Amino acid sequence: MGRRKLEDDDDNNNSKEFKSKNLQAERRRRQKLSDRLLTLRSLVPIITNMNKATIIDDAITYIQELQKTSQVLSEQLLEMEGSSEESVMPMKLEIDVAQHDMKKCGIKEEVKVSNIDGNKFLIKIIVEKKRGCFTQLIEAMNYLGFELSETNVTTFSGAMLFSSCVHGKYGDTLMVEHIEELLSEMMRSMKTSSQSAIELGNTN
Amino acid sequence: MKVYEESGCFDPHSIPDCQELMGLPGPTPTNCHNSLEDTLNVSSYNHHHHEDASAALDMEPHQHYLLDNTTNSHSHLIPYLTQDLPYDQSHWESFNVLPSSSSPEADAAATAAAGAYTTTPDLLSLFHLPRCSFLPNPSISFETTPGSPSVVYDPLFHLNLPPQPPVFRELLQSLPHGYTVPADDKDAAGVGGLYHDGDNGIIQFTRDISMAGRAKDRDKAGKTTKHFATERERRVHLNDKYQALRTMVPSPTKNDRASIVDDAIKYIKELLGTVRELQILVDKKRCGQERSKRLKTEDAASAADAGDVECKPLGDPDQCYNTSLRSSWLQRKSKDSEVDVRIVDDEVTIKLVQRKKINCLLFVSRLLDELQLDLQHVAGGNIGDYYSFLFNTKIYEGSSVYACAIANKLINVVDRQYAAAPPTNSTSL
Repeated sequence: MGRRKLEDDDDNNNSKEFKSKNLQAERRRRQKLSDRLLTLRSLVPIITNMNKATIIDDAITYIQELQKTSQVLSEQLLEMEGSSEESVMPMKLEIDVAQHDMKKCGIKEEVKVSNIDGNKFLIKIIVEKKRGCFTQLIEAMNYLGFELSETNVTTFSGAMLFSSCVHGKYGDTLMVEHIEELLSEMMRSMKTSSQSAIELGNTN
Repeated sequence: MKVYEESGCFDPHSIPDCQELMGLPGPTPTNCHNSLEDTLNVSSYNHHHHEDASAALDMEPHQHYLLDNTTNSHSHLIPYLTQDLPYDQSHWESFNVLPSSSSPEADAAATAAAGAYTTTPDLLSLFHLPRCSFLPNPSISFETTPGSPSVVYDPLFHLNLPPQPPVFRELLQSLPHGYTVPADDKDAAGVGGLYHDGDNGIIQFTRDISMAGRAKDRDKAGKTTKHFATERERRVHLNDKYQALRTMVPSPTKNDRASIVDDAIKYIKELLGTVRELQILVDKKRCGQERSKRLKTEDAASAADAGDVECKPLGDPDQCYNTSLRSSWLQRKSKDSEVDVRIVDDEVTIKLVQRKKINCLLFVSRLLDELQLDLQHVAGGNIGDYYSFLFNTKIYEGSSVYACAIANKLINVVDRQYAAAPPTNSTSL
């Protein structure tokens, strides 16, 4: 805070006009800093001395404590997670539920591709929702060399609607039918692979 | 007043004294203890800690802390002091002020004898005052052996900037020693110039608070050339501290003091939220485990009691059903991307904005699968120069993810992809 004295002296000695604008700005800046320090001080529960330097120190200490606390807790959580057996059950239930819902609502699986402009396509896919099916879809898109410029995914009663505006990255023009075929192929393989996964009782 | 009595400086050289004091919880240490302890109801805390510094015990202070979140700030003093704090040595050592000679016992000593920080073998310790700069050997505490484990709570650091609030001066004036208040005695106690003139500077500061501007003339007259050196050093130290604070924050923005403090404030709030969230998760988990254990033992014990399994006597279950809705929010920014994670109960909403370079949907969705998040809705795409996505997900039953982890992992994944991907996609669209 010795600086404050020095600056004031300088300002008084030098030309007031030019410096006063700066002075105001400087005062505001210091005010802003001190307000923020006050807020910091109010957050930290352990306060030793009440000045600028120690509040920074205390804040550092406090942050470290909090970090340590959160680490301890998260490790605890991991331990508990490792020893719990709950997570295995729900997944099987979900899948059965999903299949059931979709058939009930009459939603059919579908692949539809339409050409917008040259290399741009609008792809709409309805697929049964399963764990990781979105990832598989995106992988399929990647594999086909599509870049997704606009994507939208919604899920409803066990079905997932994927609609995206894509365009071919690699410049080779694909026919709509081709794309539809490829995508249906991929979906079928997705389905069979996931079914076998269920049968084997593995998680994805 | 009690605050200042408790918050002393720890002198590692007087560890033996500390231990002595600990061993015989005589009148002097416990006096200070009791005052705080009464307000805290953690009577056996300090005695326990040095015997068993395991994590299990650490839960209690957290609970205390969490429960007492809104209470008197001083009530947190002891719980925090009784934790084992691994000090981040790399930062402090650069300041060359770390009295790094503590041991676990010393830590315990420091924390357990919360009121007896001032353990220099002089009368001052009886008053439980923090060590002042003008005590005979302050410099020793700095030049202690490097390399040994760091101090638990490093109030000693404050010695470097020996600011004494006005309260201290009055206390010290009441001492029978003839330790003089720094402001009156320019050549205080043969201490190095570091403290001597620094005191003047600090007293100036405290005077600023109380008597705005009146001290100006007096201090001007008292400045010597030494003052500039110590003032500069003080500034350097202060700047170093600011930098240290900056390094602790996950995503620091600008490098000026106000934003450093601002980032620190935001980060502290975020950490508080994370700790609270983790606590809720741990409680839920534990309660779930207990419930399943109970169900198992009951199934084994009595198959006939099918109807009564759920309705238990009012013992444990009431604790388990915490009705608190879990909610947390945090943001992470990196150079090219920004992640915003909000969790309410079991729904997680993630917003991701990244500079258009790679199409990250694949990696993000893989990560979401990994984190056991069930995608309900995704929307997003290319907007001008950026890719922006919004993911609405649900947490699968049994998984316990927390906001901080999600955000950190997400931003790591995205940044890694950034680094990995060559900038070839700039020509598309």
